[in-house]
Amino acid sequence: MHGGPVPFARRVAVWDAALTAVRAYLRAAGMLEVSTPIRVAAPAIEPYIDPIAAPPGYLATSPELAMKRLLARGSGPIFQLSHVFRQAERGDRHSEEFHLLEWYRLGGELAEVEADVEAVVAAVFAAVGAEPPTRWLRVDFFSLFERTSGVALRGDEDDEALRSVVGPALRAMVWDGRPGPLTSPDAEIRSLAAWTALFSAWSDLHLDPWLSRQVGVGVHLGEFPAALAALAQRSQKDGRAVAHRVESHVAGVELANGYLELRDPAEQRRRFAAVNALRGALGQAVLPLDEDFLRELGGLPLTTGMALGLDRLIMLACGCTRLDDISLALGAP
Amino acid sequence: MDVSELRKNAKLQMDGHPFVVTDFQFVKPGKGQGLYKCKLKNMITGATIDRTWRSGERLEAANVESRRMQFLFAGGGSFTFMDSENYEQVELSADLVGDDKNFLLEQLEVEVLFYNNRPVGVTLPSHIVMKIVEAEPGVKGDSANNPTKMATLESGYRLQVPLFVKEGERVKIDTRTGDYIERVNG
Repeated sequence: MHGGPVPFARRVAVWDAALTAVRAYLRAAGMLEVSTPIRVAAPAIEPYIDPIAAPPGYLATSPELAMKRLLARGSGPIFQLSHVFRQAERGDRHSEEFHLLEWYRLGGELAEVEADVEAVVAAVFAAVGAEPPTRWLRVDFFSLFERTSGVALRGDEDDEALRSVVGPALRAMVWDGRPGPLTSPDAEIRSLAAWTALFSAWSDLHLDPWLSRQVGVGVHLGEFPAALAALAQRSQKDGRAVAHRVESHVAGVELANGYLELRDPAEQRRRFAAVNALRGALGQAVLPLDEDFLRELGGLPLTTGMALGLDRLIMLACGCTRLDDISLALGAP
Repeated sequence: MDVSELRKNAKLQMDGHPFVVTDFQFVKPGKGQGLYKCKLKNMITGATIDRTWRSGERLEAANVESRRMQFLFAGGGSFTFMDSENYEQVELSADLVGDDKNFLLEQLEVEVLFYNNRPVGVTLPSHIVMKIVEAEPGVKGDSANNPTKMATLESGYRLQVPLFVKEGERVKIDTRTGDYIERVNG
């Protein structure tokens, strides 16, 4: 383990070893490798992910919609290692362009793709000669939220209800009086904005400090509030409105995001429209809907999918803290 | 400017003051809102504050520039500087110059900070050399428990210097702390 930038000669070897290990694992698990276009007509619509325009379309922010169309046409289990682009995400652990490893398994068990994450992490750590996390913990959002903030959530509260139940620190971070979608006349926009902002504030105030104490332990954070379902299925479970979504973290770094994939085109259209309305209220570009994807979504078999940031995984395996320390996107010589 | 344009050394305007970003961290839960965690320094008072912005917020860029100028003279509660390139003269009030007045010698080259085209502060070179105009004589044998003595610089500023420093000698001063650094020969 070392802290600084990985020397260039080793960087090339590290990437080769990591790419080989990842492909070997996913192929052995019965998935076929695919490669879908980087430029797409319409990206997946998320509140805080901005695509980079590449007229007449966009650079893909993830290969999700294209891969689901392959699945809907009967591809069977597939994986892809793609270059994806997210505008204005720059920091030690963010880059506007990065490598997203995305894979889909047939069947309805999120635990299967969680196990894949553990195996992919172990394979990449081993490929660079590092010790992977000794064990993995699975914790659901609702219990962890309650444990860290003292508040029990149901998952489908509206913004008013949320505002009245969360503690003063979170309330001050989310409802800070600044103009924006939280003051929108549209109740659906307010609620989606409140949940999204609450999750971000809680991540900063409670989740990140908690994760940083899980030394040597990987964490799957599952069972999200229904309001944060994104492209995942929702259901009622133990009196809670749950989204079947999981985030995997290693060493305090968010590494992967998985869904039990939504297969209902009408529901998917409603969610895209709601997020677009929120984007509009935030002053962000309203994005076109991928009509081809919506047309084919009804044919998607029962599927779980996972997307993992490969650059971050290699960074962690090398004991580094900055993507620049391992990147092959070299700066000036 | 959009908050996503924040960088280290970006200059912003808040509550009528210019600030410079001294430290900058972008954090973002994958599906959540990005946070821009910044440390900022008030370019006039030097005070440091922490601020966090969320993605999508708008900021006001500060119209600040730094110009190389020469100190000409003081008088009537103000200090006059001249642009070394176009000979334009500007006046700064004594409260804007603050304790830096202790190290302003005629013809000293300084950086004058302009905010909205008004001069708001001076940045001195970090080290300057000045003459001692008055110093107590060093007392022999006293160096063990009183190794320094008071002395006065040509600007009138008084500071502690080692016993061996004499009147008429030149010394190097750290303008940020006001402390003696070393005697300058020749």
